[in-house]
Amino acid sequence: MLQKIRVMLFLAWRSIQRGGRAGLMLNIVIIALVFTNMLLLPSIITGAVELFNEQTVDYQTSDILISPREDDRYIADVDTLLAKINRIPGVHRASARFAMGGTLIYKGKTVSVPVTAFYPRDEVEVTLINTKMKSGTFLSSGDTGEILLGNFVAGSEDESEDFFASLGGVRVGDSITVNFENGVSREYRVKGIFQTKSYTVDYMVFLPWEEMEEIIGHENTLATEVLVKTDEGVDLDVVKMRILSFGVGEKVKTWKDVLSGLVEESIESFNIINQISMLVSLVIAVVVIFVIITIKAVHQRREIGILKAIGIDQDIVIGSYVTQVLFICLLGTILGFIISQVLMIYFNAYPLEFPDGNVVPVFEYVTMLENTALLFVASAAAGYVPAWRIARQNILDAIRGQA
Amino acid sequence: MITVEDLERVYLMGKVEVHALRGVSLSVKQGEFLGVTGESGSGKSTLLHLVGILDQPTAGRVLIDTTDVYRLSAEEQSRFRLGRIGFVFQEYALIQELTALENVYLPSLAAGNSHRDHEEHAGAILEKVGLEGRLNHLPRELSGGEQQRVAIARALVNDPGILLADEPCANLDSENSRNIMDIFADINRETGQTIMMVSHEAWHRPYFDRIIRLRDGRIVDAGDVFDDEER
Repeated sequence: MLQKIRVMLFLAWRSIQRGGRAGLMLNIVIIALVFTNMLLLPSIITGAVELFNEQTVDYQTSDILISPREDDRYIADVDTLLAKINRIPGVHRASARFAMGGTLIYKGKTVSVPVTAFYPRDEVEVTLINTKMKSGTFLSSGDTGEILLGNFVAGSEDESEDFFASLGGVRVGDSITVNFENGVSREYRVKGIFQTKSYTVDYMVFLPWEEMEEIIGHENTLATEVLVKTDEGVDLDVVKMRILSFGVGEKVKTWKDVLSGLVEESIESFNIINQISMLVSLVIAVVVIFVIITIKAVHQRREIGILKAIGIDQDIVIGSYVTQVLFICLLGTILGFIISQVLMIYFNAYPLEFPDGNVVPVFEYVTMLENTALLFVASAAAGYVPAWRIARQNILDAIRGQA
Repeated sequence: MITVEDLERVYLMGKVEVHALRGVSLSVKQGEFLGVTGESGSGKSTLLHLVGILDQPTAGRVLIDTTDVYRLSAEEQSRFRLGRIGFVFQEYALIQELTALENVYLPSLAAGNSHRDHEEHAGAILEKVGLEGRLNHLPRELSGGEQQRVAIARALVNDPGILLADEPCANLDSENSRNIMDIFADINRETGQTIMMVSHEAWHRPYFDRIIRLRDGRIVDAGDVFDDEER
């Protein structure tokens, strides 16, 4: 066996060494491009998913989200709950949110959205919305008569630029009317407009907690959700279990739990697209290699016959072609890897701009290894078949160059 | 010792059967230099190919020593060709991507000899056929005569008992042809190698121990063994 491998490698290496250089380089470049193509789409999808995850944690749910029990609308006695959660090891800060339906009116334009109240000092500890101010400033404790709008709520003067119904281009300093679902109506000055590029978050409206208590007419001890930021590096599931063990009866979910159902379907759809793209890439690789090896083997039909005539086993002849293919594949994947790394550097500097954020493709090494293995297996098969077809030919027919 | 018994080979050309060999029987003694002659289409090359296990007979058998070679598996036939038979083709049949030295040591490498052994041995054989200065030349850098000498060296590298040559001088000028025939004669004389050579050149006759003549797939003259005077 070892002997066969030695001869196989010897023949393959001499063929690579002394065969046509231009053809060899072309084959390597084709494999490199196929490899890069196989990586690019999954990396963009992974990048988009990571962006979505980041946006969810940074602006929407923080690390852990506590929501009302199954049949309740609100979390009761939220101050006690906050005090309890803030004492749990691994918790950095908890922030309560209370949402009430409202209709915002500005120059005849109306938008109906939940108006969410929070303690600004707590909120800046659990989300990064305060870092994404498009204009104006974030809310502060004690602000009265001021409101914070998401970019999609504020909208544009040119309606065609809006994705959803908007207030038609409200600016910081403008006054808007808010009619709350409990019948209270108030005028607010727009203090700031934030733009996170998350569709959900940018269609939100925020008020300080005290302002909401004014609307309700009494001290508010209810919350619609509590966002919990954990200390850096802690295991979210461990903190979740600790919260539950502290007797919190509300629903406690890590951000991954929240997203699991929500994005699974999208990821599955992305994966289908990805697999189709990968299949097409593989088919291209297989066809290219099949054609290359067929042409090469047909061209060398006579030499294959000679090799067999002098006593070189058919398996060695086939193996030498497969070895050449694997060599081309190896160099192709190395070149493809270099191209993908260059692309990664480029996309880190110039991310792909999408409406919901800037996507930096994420090249995952597991995907890279899977693709490499797939490419090698497919290429080996694509090289084996034509080599086998020619090598199994009758020796004399091969030497005479007859098909 | 080569024994051929009732060998038949029928080819199909479209729907027409072509009888290349019609029951050939023959014995070639160990160390004999046998010439095979006959007109074009008489079956000389077919006989040589069948003795060299390059083809499949329609009927009959070929025994080399005591081995019925067509009862061997394809892999065993490959091993047999590698170790026991050397073949020299009319058109040199060298591997174009290998140098003269590599072409010669390839069968030795395949036979499992060590790197140093097969290089040294191949170099020595090439020296013997007068190519000591052309070891690292590719076939396209060699003349026809030189290429044929490389092919002979390759056929000898595993010290096979039998050397088969199918009109090895057909594409060479008279000087190169004579050189090649001299090499075969030397090999036969020095190593006692059995040689079976297809030829229809009259001037080759003195080189052979015996000549058989084929016509229409049959041996029409089994030939007498020449003594030195007859040559």
